[in-house]
Amino acid sequence: MDIDDILREVDPTFHSVPREKRDLQDLTRAWVAERSAPELLPWPAGGLFERINDNIKRQIEKVEEMTGDMDPKTNFVLIVIQTELERFKFLVRSYLRARIAKIDRHTLHYLSTDDLRARLSEMELAYATRHQALLHNHYLSSFLSSFPPALQNLNDTAGNISMIDAPDLDAAVFIRLLEDTVVQGRGVDADGEMDGRESDIVILRWSDAKPLVEAGRAELV
Amino acid sequence: MALPLPPGLNHAEVAFLAEMEMVTVVPRQRLESINLLSGQTPPLRPPHRAELPLWLALLLKKQRRANILPPPWLHPSSLAEIIHRETKEDPVTFSAPPPPPSHANPHDPGTARRVRDADADANLAPPFLPSCTAGAPAGYLPYHWLEVAEALLTHAGDDMAAPAGDVRSLLRDLVEVRAAKMRSSTSALEGFGGGLMSLRGVGAMELAESRGFVLGVVDGVRKIGASAEAARREEEELGGGREDDESDEDMGI
Repeated sequence: MDIDDILREVDPTFHSVPREKRDLQDLTRAWVAERSAPELLPWPAGGLFERINDNIKRQIEKVEEMTGDMDPKTNFVLIVIQTELERFKFLVRSYLRARIAKIDRHTLHYLSTDDLRARLSEMELAYATRHQALLHNHYLSSFLSSFPPALQNLNDTAGNISMIDAPDLDAAVFIRLLEDTVVQGRGVDADGEMDGRESDIVILRWSDAKPLVEAGRAELV
Repeated sequence: MALPLPPGLNHAEVAFLAEMEMVTVVPRQRLESINLLSGQTPPLRPPHRAELPLWLALLLKKQRRANILPPPWLHPSSLAEIIHRETKEDPVTFSAPPPPPSHANPHDPGTARRVRDADADANLAPPFLPSCTAGAPAGYLPYHWLEVAEALLTHAGDDMAAPAGDVRSLLRDLVEVRAAKMRSSTSALEGFGGGLMSLRGVGAMELAESRGFVLGVVDGVRKIGASAEAARREEEELGGGREDDESDEDMGI
């Protein structure tokens, strides 16, 4: 610790959030958003997930080392570390499961365009592609093969009706405003607009909330 | 296996989130700083106060290694004040959420400025705001008020400023008052034609409780009125945004 660190600690205006803490905040926000949004959200940028995974791995190794010496004093520290580890694991697991559930429900939709594909992580893309291939092969061998070749596709868009199911982007969501901003929403009878204040909780359609969330002016709750 | 839960956080998940709130503890034993995944914990030296996440504070409390200082808003007088405000002053909307944290601005004495993280691109939000610490303002309910209060009363009842029973009965009143508001706000949903509804000051648990119902109603109204809405949009495009009240009556909702 040098003099700068000491000064920083006593300076009330300096509020640097350490990286680990910011990662937890980002992961929590991503988890809540993924659990609430009707469609799959982009995979977090900036290597957030990889960093957290590495940290978890390192922490598990540390726990394994610490279980060796059973000193009652370190014992409690071990309990704390393991409790926190379990909390992190739950967050990560729940987040990934929420994403997989969405990918499973609308696999072809998320594989249909490059924009949508970019939302998936590498692993998820591999999973979705393989899962869809297996499914299609299974359908082919069980019943599709007896159909005329023109009817064997699963992604027909003939007659203006797409076979690909897409998530309902107009589903209602709750958002919390993170700063004062104008909120616009489309309604059945009229389109609404309000001057939102910070920490307002607003119900509106996801398609209207999306630009605000993406700009960081609001978050899903 | 993929997640079988419907969208939106359920009660257990909200409670999990609330355990990330920071609270103030008074340690009874020394404990060195622990290197956790979410960063270093402050070293605990009695009788110096320290801020820890709720889950860790509860763990220390259960092992009788620390006492938890209840947040000022959980004091009976603060709760009574909030109940008064919720019932008498504004019987329709929820009481206001806590103001964003701020502190004195050394460059301009006498003024305060927001606590803002310089390099974060977005503002902090609950559960990462210090709204349940000993320094939180009294008279405002934070987003996770019910979960935090419940956890503190259950596990740290002896640390309360008043007998836990008294605080509990005040909390129950508050829950009932606010539940009634939540119910009456659903009647506003009936005419959810405007596309927006604000529930400023609502709590996380209250939201989790009525999420399914509220979202179901909003989505239902949208689906029933989809054709009317499409017709209105078409009309507006043709008629240059002329408002028409007829569609309201046609809907019959």
